[in-house]
Amino acid sequence: MMAMSPIDPGLQEALDGVRDPGTLPMDLREAYARLMGAANLLQTLPAVSVAARVMADIHDLKPERIRPGPRLMRWLARPRAVTLRLRPAWTLALAAGLAAILLISTQSTRSPIPGPHQGVAQFVGRFPGARSVEVVGSFNDWSRGSLHLRDENHDGIWHGAAVLPAGPHEYMFVVDGERWVPDPLAGRYVDDGFGAGGENSLLIVRPAQASLDDDATLR
Amino acid sequence: MVNDGAPSDVEVVARVLGGDGEAFGILIRRYEPGLLRFATRMLGNPDAAADAVAESLVRAYRHLAQCRDPARLRSWLYRITGNRCRSHLARRRTNDISLSEAPPLADASDSWAALERGEQVALVERALNALPAEKREAFVLKHVEGMSYEEMAAVTGARIPTLKMRVHRAREALLAALEELV
Repeated sequence: MMAMSPIDPGLQEALDGVRDPGTLPMDLREAYARLMGAANLLQTLPAVSVAARVMADIHDLKPERIRPGPRLMRWLARPRAVTLRLRPAWTLALAAGLAAILLISTQSTRSPIPGPHQGVAQFVGRFPGARSVEVVGSFNDWSRGSLHLRDENHDGIWHGAAVLPAGPHEYMFVVDGERWVPDPLAGRYVDDGFGAGGENSLLIVRPAQASLDDDATLR
Repeated sequence: MVNDGAPSDVEVVARVLGGDGEAFGILIRRYEPGLLRFATRMLGNPDAAADAVAESLVRAYRHLAQCRDPARLRSWLYRITGNRCRSHLARRRTNDISLSEAPPLADASDSWAALERGEQVALVERALNALPAEKREAFVLKHVEGMSYEEMAAVTGARIPTLKMRVHRAREALLAALEELV
């Protein structure tokens, strides 16, 4: 562990360009020269180019149009706590429906067994009429083609699962190969980095082992 | 950025959004060197940096309509690239710079001035890579890419006082590391 001591404020001012470094004492001038020399060395430009690769990648793409009112749509779609007073008959029917959905999900999801630092992420989205839905995110370098969701019942409910490293992951749904939409059920969102107020969905994968430990504690 | 006779970023963005995809190449040529340097300094690995910049440029093209102020395209591109680097670092978790990438230790008898340029670069890179990512980013944006604190705020999303503190701390750590390494 290196020893780190505060730099003289005068040196900081000179490095910020608000003080003439020539007015610094000799020892601070040496430190100034050392830091600025280091910065100059780091300014060396890499001798590689990704231009051809990028132009090939975007050859068949077109810039996407801005989604109309994404914040409003997300606000409308964001889940909220709602209290429903249901008659017993409706309650039974609803419970039966949910059980069926969970059963189908469980049967149709054949997820590989996660490792000690992995967990299973379940993705569900409602996209009636969609021809395809897939998930891109920080876990697959935002590349399409690796995580497709399924709609076996043709009811517009697309679902799928993936084993991911434990921890936070940003993601989006890609509908019909071209429409990128956040997950309205994600609950958590982070700035997408494009500066236009857009957000990526955020999921936090818990390690499968931790889930098992929690289950064991509950018993 | 407006060069002699060259179209401005605003003009090029308008051309691309109007359907002239090839015009995006102008922006690549204009900003690729700096973005590659920034990503290389952030990731400490030229191959990973090339991947991060390529992915960032493709994302920038795809989402170009979301760039609210094309006159500040440079900040926007650095922001996307910085986010890609952060994602990469988060996945990497631990410092996985291989021994072959690590520069050789300088002999204690060498003076700073006597070191060859290549050795000096390697030494400084090593000291830079020892900094936490936030401080490394702040130092690189300020002293390598030559940005103002205002532009750094646009790139990182952090507040200016926070960025000043990161730069100050980075300088202190870098100076200490350089004194220890040389």
